[in-house]
Order: sequence, then C-alpha cells, then structure tokens
Amino acid sequence: MALFRSKQDVFSEDLASQIGESQTLGVQLRRMARRNKLAVASAVFLALLTLAAIFVPILSPYDPVIGDASIRLKPPSAAHWLGTDEMGRDVLTRLLYGARISLAVGVVPTLISMILGVALGVVAGYVGGMTDYILMRLADVMLAFPSLLLAMVIMYTLGGGVLNIFLALALVGWASVARVARSETISLKESEYVQAAKSIGVSGGRIIRRHILPNCLPALIVLFTLNIPSAILSESSLSFLGAGVQLPNSSWGLMVNMGRQFLYNAPWISLAPSAAIMLVVLACNFLGDGLRDALDPHLNNE
Amino acid sequence: MRKHLAFVLALAMILSVAAIPAYADEGEKVLNLASESDILTMDVALTTDDYFIPHNVFDRLFEIQVQPDGSTEIVPSLVADYSVSDDGLTYDFTLAEGVTFSNGNPLTASDVKYTFEHLLTVPGACNYDIAQEVKGAQALLDGEAQELEGIEVTGDLTFTLTLEAVNAGYIAELTSPAMSIIDQETVESAAAFGMEPADTIGSGPYIVSEWVPNDHFTLTRNENYWGEAPDADVVVMNVVPDASTQNLMFQNGELDIIDLDALDASIIDSVYKTTYADSIVPGYRVGVTFMSMNENNEFLSDVNVRKAIQMAIDRQGLLDNFYGGDGIIQNGMIATGVWGHNEDQTPIVYDPEGAKALLAEAGYEEGEITFEFSLDSSSGDTTAMVYQQIAQDLAAVGINAEIESYDESAWLDFRRTEEMPAFVGTWTMDYNDPANILGTFFSNSTSGRSINYANQEIKDRVDAASSIMDDDERMAEYQAIDEAIVAQDAAVVPLYERAHLFCIGEKVASFVPHWAGFSNFFVRDVEMN
Amino acid sequence: MSTLKSIVRRILSAIPVLIGVVLIIYLILHILPGNAILTMMGEHAREEVVQQLSADLGLDKPWYVQFWMYVSGLFTGNMGTSIKYHKPVSELIATYFPVTIKLSVLAALVAWAVGIVCGVVSAMRKDKLADRIGMGFSLLGVSVPVFMTAMVLQYLLAYKLKWFPIQGTKEGFVCYILPAIALGWSSAGSVARLTRSTLLEVMESDYIDTARAKGRSVPGAVVFHALRNAMIPVVTVMAIQISSLLSGAVITETIFSLPGIGRLCVDAISGRDVPLLQGSVIFATALVIAGNLVADCLYSVLDPRIRKEG
Repeated sequence: MALFRSKQDVFSEDLASQIGESQTLGVQLRRMARRNKLAVASAVFLALLTLAAIFVPILSPYDPVIGDASIRLKPPSAAHWLGTDEMGRDVLTRLLYGARISLAVGVVPTLISMILGVALGVVAGYVGGMTDYILMRLADVMLAFPSLLLAMVIMYTLGGGVLNIFLALALVGWASVARVARSETISLKESEYVQAAKSIGVSGGRIIRRHILPNCLPALIVLFTLNIPSAILSESSLSFLGAGVQLPNSSWGLMVNMGRQFLYNAPWISLAPSAAIMLVVLACNFLGDGLRDALDPHLNNE
Repeated sequence: MRKHLAFVLALAMILSVAAIPAYADEGEKVLNLASESDILTMDVALTTDDYFIPHNVFDRLFEIQVQPDGSTEIVPSLVADYSVSDDGLTYDFTLAEGVTFSNGNPLTASDVKYTFEHLLTVPGACNYDIAQEVKGAQALLDGEAQELEGIEVTGDLTFTLTLEAVNAGYIAELTSPAMSIIDQETVESAAAFGMEPADTIGSGPYIVSEWVPNDHFTLTRNENYWGEAPDADVVVMNVVPDASTQNLMFQNGELDIIDLDALDASIIDSVYKTTYADSIVPGYRVGVTFMSMNENNEFLSDVNVRKAIQMAIDRQGLLDNFYGGDGIIQNGMIATGVWGHNEDQTPIVYDPEGAKALLAEAGYEEGEITFEFSLDSSSGDTTAMVYQQIAQDLAAVGINAEIESYDESAWLDFRRTEEMPAFVGTWTMDYNDPANILGTFFSNSTSGRSINYANQEIKDRVDAASSIMDDDERMAEYQAIDEAIVAQDAAVVPLYERAHLFCIGEKVASFVPHWAGFSNFFVRDVEMN
Repeated sequence: MSTLKSIVRRILSAIPVLIGVVLIIYLILHILPGNAILTMMGEHAREEVVQQLSADLGLDKPWYVQFWMYVSGLFTGNMGTSIKYHKPVSELIATYFPVTIKLSVLAALVAWAVGIVCGVVSAMRKDKLADRIGMGFSLLGVSVPVFMTAMVLQYLLAYKLKWFPIQGTKEGFVCYILPAIALGWSSAGSVARLTRSTLLEVMESDYIDTARAKGRSVPGAVVFHALRNAMIPVVTVMAIQISSLLSGAVITETIFSLPGIGRLCVDAISGRDVPLLQGSVIFATALVIAGNLVADCLYSVLDPRIRKEG
C-alpha cells in the first residue's frame, strides 16, 4: 500500500475496476451529452473562451500592453466593458489575452505531467519489483511536498516566466498521475485478456500499447480535466505571490495580483480575472464530473 | 444530523463571542504604526536598511533638525561643543553632561570610541563607511590593530577624532543613523545586543520592550531619557506587508499614522485627499528617483542614445498619472532638499520628436535599439507601472526597453555584475551632503551599480571635491559636476523627487516626519491628543 | 499482520521518503541564483563586505561540501543558521510554527464542518434543490482562488463590519477566524463530495435496511450508522488536507500578516535565505509525512478490512 493517497486514488480505486470495455468512448460521450446539460454547457463555454482568446486581436480594438495612463482605473462603460486597469488598458482585452496564458498554463503542464506520469506509472505497474519500488518512493517524495511550496521553490530557482511555470507545475503534478496509471496497470495486468496475450508470447511493449494504455484512457481523460483547474489555481497563486508570470506578460493570476490594491476603489480589475478563474475552474470540474459519470458504468446504472 | 447542527451552532456561538475585540484601555497613550517589512536586526552595524530602532532608541553626536520653512540644519545632540583644526583633519569633541543610557550607565567618550570600533569589527559589519574615514580604521578592518588609532579619549567626556583625509562634510555624516552611539558595557556583557530587546540599550527616548518577529514590536518610553520626554507612552510598530491592508487598518482606527508611500495615487486621491484632507502631513524624500543607463551596453554607450532617452520620457506624465502629481521633477542628481541643490540646472525637456530626430541623425533605425530594462519585482506595484510607462514612452520613439522581472536578490546580484543595462532606482540620502549620492554612483570608488560612468575627469573631480573646505566653493563644484554628469554626458535620467506623504489619525495631534526619506517614522516628536 | 506491526512498517517506510525530500530540496536550492548577503544588508552595502561575508558563511564552498555539512547537522537537530535573521533555523521554526498549527487546525475544522454538513445534506436530499445548493457551495469554495476569498472576507467582515481584526495576531484567537474560514472553505469541497458519495453508497447497503427494520427513522440511521462508515475514506482525505492546507497557509498568512511557516518560506525565498528555506520546507514536508502516517494508522484502526489485508 502506498504511503500517500491523493484525490485521484480515492476515485480511481473504484473507477479502475468499473470501466467497461464494452462501450466505445464515442458512445459514452454521446450519452453524456444527452444526460448532463451542465457538462455540455461547460464544454461550450470553454470552447468559446478558447476561440475568443485566439481571435481577440480581431475582436478587440485595444492593445493589451499599451495603455493610456490618463484614463486609468475607469469603471466599466460602453467603451470599456470591464473598465480600465492601473495602466489605462482595457480590462476585457487584457482578460482575453491573459486567457491565452492562463489556459495554456492549465493545459500544457497538465499534459506534460500526464505523459510523464503515465509513462512512469505504467512502467512501474507493469515491470514491478525494484523499478516499481524506486519510482513509487520517488512519487511519495514528490507528493509529500506541499505543492505550492515546491512550485514556489522551483520557480524561484528557475526564475519567473511562462515556460518555467509549465516546468514547475509539471514537476509537481506527475506523481499523482503516476499513482493512478500504476494502479490501473496493475489491475489490468491481472485481467484475463492480458494474461492470455502474455501466454501467447506478445511482447510487453505491445501489451502496454494495445491493451493497457487504451483501457487506461477513460480514467486518464477524467483525470486530465480535473487536473487542469488545479494547475490554473496554482498559477494564479504563484502569480499572486509574485513568483509566477512576470511583467509585461499577463495572466489572470498576475492581473489579480496587480489589481489587488485596487480591490476597494477599482474592484473590476481584480474581480474580473478572479471570476474568470472561478468560471473556468467550475467548468472544468463540471466537465470532468460529466465525463466521469459517462465513463463510469457503476454510476450510470443507478 | 441534529448533532452536527448543534456542533456547528455551538462553534458559531463561540466564534461570535470571541469576535468582539477586547480594547485594552489603561489610560496609556499608545501610538500604532505599521511597516511593510520587519526589521532584521536592531544593531545598526549590521544593516543599511533598518533604521527605525536606531532612530528612536539611540542618539547620535549630531542630529538634523527640520526648520519651519522646510530647510534642514545640523544641530549638536550628544555633543556639547566641538572644534576643527585648521588643516581640517582633527576634531575636538566635548560630550554633553548628564546623558545616561536607559539602564542608567553614563555616556562617556570611550562609548563613542567603542561605537566606531564596533561598527568596524563586529562580525557581519556592513555599515562602516563613515567610521572607515577615521585614521587607522583600515588597520582595524584588516585585523592589524586592536583599537582605533584615530580616536583618542582625553577625558570622561572629551575625545579627539582624526580623519585619514579631509572631509568637509564629516559632521553631516555623523548625523547618519549608522553613527548611533552604543553603550560599551552593555554590548560587551549582553549576549544578544541587537537581537534581544533586553540587551539592546540605547540613550534615546524609547526602550524596546517586545519584538515578535514578523508581527510587531513595542517601544515604551525611556523614563531616564536625558532630553525632553516624548509624548506617546507606548509605540507599537505592526508588520503589515500589504499597503492596502494598512489602508484598511488606518480607516478603521487601528493605525494612528500611516505612511502613504506604497499606496496607489488613486487611493490617496479618493480616500485621503477627500476624507482626510486636513490630516495629510507632507514629509520629505531628500533623494532622487532616476533611470540608469549602463555605459557598458552596446547602445547605451552612445551619448546620443542616452540623450534621446532623456528626451523621450514624459517625466511629468509619470509623476501626474502614477503619483498624483505629488513630487518635483528633478534635472540633476542633487535633489531638492539636499544641500547644494541647484534650481537653475539645465532642464531636460520632454521632446519625443526631437529624440526621434536625434536617433535618426546618429544613424539608428527605428526598433534597432534594444536593451533589457530590469525590474526588481519586490519594489512595489507603482514602480512596475512606471517601468511599463517608460517602456511605452521609449517605444514611441523606436527604442525597445524590454522589461524583465527579478526578485530582489537576483536583481541585486545582477546589478552587482555591472551588466544590468537599465533600471529605475531611488537613492535617499544617508546624510545631507552631495558627496553621498555622487560618490556612490559617479566616483572612482563606485562599484557594482551597473552604471559604468566613463568620464574619468569628472570621477576624479567627485573624489577631490570632498576636501574643499569652503562650503560655498564645494557646493559650486558639486553643482558643476552634476551639470556635467546629467546635461553634458547624459549619464543618467533624473526623474523626480516624490513627496513622502503621511496621514495622521484622530489620536495624533502633530507629527513632523524625519528629514530623510529613509526613515518612515521618527516618533520622538509626535504629540498625542 | 497486527495493527502495531503495520504501524511500525509504515513509520519505517517514511524514512526513505524523508531522505528523498531532503536531497531533492537541497539539489533544487543549490542551483538557486542570487545572493542572500546582498538582500540582507541592503543596497547601501559595499562590495568588499558582501564578498567577505559570503566567505564567512561558507557560501563559497562547493555544494556537496555544504550538503554534507547540512545533513550531518540535521542528525544533531541543527538546521543551520538563518542568514537573514542571524538566528538558528530551528529556533525560528519553533517561533513561527504554532501560528501555522493554530491556523491549520481551525481551517481543518471549518473544512470538515462545512464539508460534512454539505455532504450529508446533499446525500439526504439527493438530486433535490438542497443537494444542488450544498454541492454548489462546497464546489464554489474549491473554485474561487483562496486569495480572493481572503481579501473579500477581510474587506467585508473586518473592515466594513469590524467583527474581526484586519490582520496580525495581537488580539489572539479572533485573529485566526477569518484566515481559517478562507483557507477551510477551499478544502471543504473534497470533504463534501466524498461524504456525499460514500454516504450514498452506505445508505444503499444492507445494514441500513436492518436499521430501518429495527424501527429507527432514516435520519437517525444516517447519523449513527452511515456516517460512521462513511467517515473512513474521509479520514484519508485528511492526509491530503494537511498538504493543501499548508499550501494555502502561505497565501492566507501573507494576506492576514500572520507570522507562520508560510510567511517564513516566502520571506526566506525573497531573501535568498537558503538555510531558512531549506529548514522550513523540510519541516513543512515532514509535517505532511507525519500527518499521512497518522491518517494511515487511523484508517487501519477504523477499518478492520484494511487490517486484514495488511
């Protein structure tokens, strides 16, 4: 038994054994779309936000960096829907440009930690023995650190900046993924069809590629959606403490940080990015829950 | 379920009862202050930053007094009388009679000598610039001598001090908080001078009675104080890192004086200049905010580029938009309020078109000039805005100043390599003499400032100026040097001297800020209601 | 395997983890750029002094020499001397630690109270409005950044309504309430979710039917049977809570100016005080490890099945 438990363990313990092999992913997703309106709305919201972030140079007449200091801290108006910030820039425009970094910070490090975690977890689970022991103790070590503290220490070592955030959050996040991947692998390894494949001499690499990875996929998709919000929140915390994205770049966390002293006289500067963080985190959670329900036959049967 | 509800209700009740704040009223006059960061040591030999304790718990041989018209004057404090030899090298001092430290020990001339030696020899010493000018200080620093040759104790209250080289501004330097006089007996017998309140004994108006790290420290009145007793019985300095939290505390009466320095101009405008308009106390900065231009840099080594940068920055715009106009534009490094300040220095004119023309004439294409503009991310939000606005102003004339953020240590470390291309800094005077700023940035002994001023003739003149004994002549020389550095060589962009605003609450009747910008609170003269 | 044996085994398995923690944090920090001396003495300090002091503190020695000195010091309880504060790191931690403990315990209570109440309400009124509100409330706590909750609470309850002090610890217990609510709410979500789902599972199991048969009302059965069993996985979540509470403490301590371990870490980082940073991060991590051990032990005591499996 592992020394540390993570949130993922708690749900994967039942998830691992319950994912059916009978239904394809597509069928499951379509069923989710039919049943869970909240998850669908969340997916639509996230898609729209992504599009807006991509096309903001066309959508907005304002520059994200160059402002007009003579109109700083103006409340929302027809010209500036979410007001102007401390440099006289349009908050909505900044918010959408900031979405590029914040969404990237949600997705990229999560993806890196997924790849790293799945690779190490599957190897540990499949090979077992000493490899398993060492990898899992390493995961224990990483999980023991309070994540924000570790990320802060890494950020201060590497210096601020978006790429370093990707790296820091990926380094902090892989261990819990490795845990899930390992336990999935172990349970699948014992399954009849893997045993059968082994007995007819199929190579380990092929078994992992053809049987284990595809069967881990649903659990990993759920994990992925649920890890994105925590990456976004971590980035905002780091930026809030001044250890994250650095000027003149902008992320939502940094916008809140720069706007915090105006919370009492120009609240829109910090409330708008805070609300954006909250909505994206909520949407990812709803979507994750929806996916989990759809991919988990046990709950569907209720 | 019911059980849990009961538990939650009980918890809520406990919390709400406990939530009524207990205001202790013992008839004492308590002055509540706040500072953004805690001090690290109470021993001034070990810091060049933390001057609150030295100022209020210790005394110096001389003090600077602010006159009603705002000018400053050097007045004797622990010294009763002194004279200078004709060659300007030797000073004879007589200490005031009847001065005791807060533990009752009398002040003697050997305490003064011990203070100098402590500054030079205590492990971790970093604030010995002024002590180092005394004859024989180097031998003491190098461990070749046991005592300081240049100070001779001639009686209980008399001593002579001999300098290594003539320095006409030396008396001014003795007003620096670094020169706070300590008690030999206490420091030698106490286990933790500078760390433990009980072991940190001075002769000043207050005694340190409690220090809770990163939370607050408390000063109580020194009942044995030799001078006029201060009005507040107790002074509590709260450590509140966030300026906007300080703002809330002041408005709720939890602070009696607030330093408005870190608050955004918009908050000062909307809250303080309206609700508390009559309670704002303007203080002094006595220091200049400037933008450096490293002459080691490929582009910044060209005087035309530097002149264009001087012309491209809308300094009045910066001051108006980000500091609410509270300050004075500076055209030289000897700022308003510094001895020798020159009102008639050649002004720097905001002229972006002229800057563009100058760059074109010098053969630069638009966007060709690029350099890093290094920001210390701990220096506050408004500084970050100023950086962005300067970068924007420079972009308008085709210069790319690329902002790069560092945390404080990395920033200082980078600047120390002499490679930092450009930064915005503020230098507040340690003592009121131009030698302090010009010597730090533009002399032969300048190091680690990433300025690399190349004009050797001027650097030699900076070093020579301090030995001119005639004050008027010396000030004229400093003014000429300042003109050469800023107007002729464009070695730096002086921006402005910001006003240092404070606001006093209902409990405070009067508060006169200290003359220098480095001291946020100098509380001996505060009068309470 | 007996409970005692399994507890001993768990404690032993924590040792390599602790060694790994020390090694990793050391490696990360030794490549940390920046010079503590500069920050400590301020920008008016002169170059020669900086170099002299770096040499005095052994900062110019190779990293493995420093590492060896550090690890051998740890065995004797010596965590080095803080560069910034000129004090032993262990002494500083001892001063700051109680604040963080008070904050975290209170925050955990908030998280549990909110989480369990929301979870129970949601489970009992499954798919009804109360379920939505309960889960929504706890989910909101997870989604709103901690610093925002903290700042809004500070503004409304401390500044506007004056129910609480705005910051600091001078007024004792009351000072911890707002930070604890901000911190606790953000952790309440996972407790609520877990309470709800385990409760639902337990309520459908046989012995609730037995309880019904015994004539107890459903709410009574929920409280006495279901909740007790549902608490087992919730206990394990406690272990995760310690880690995330310590992470969140960094932020709440900053906003409410509480002198705790989180502030100490932030301070140590911005001051490049490597011995202090090392010490406080290792200490915080050791707390998490200890918390996990306790949770694991509790888990095996509470749940006889785990004990059997060993």
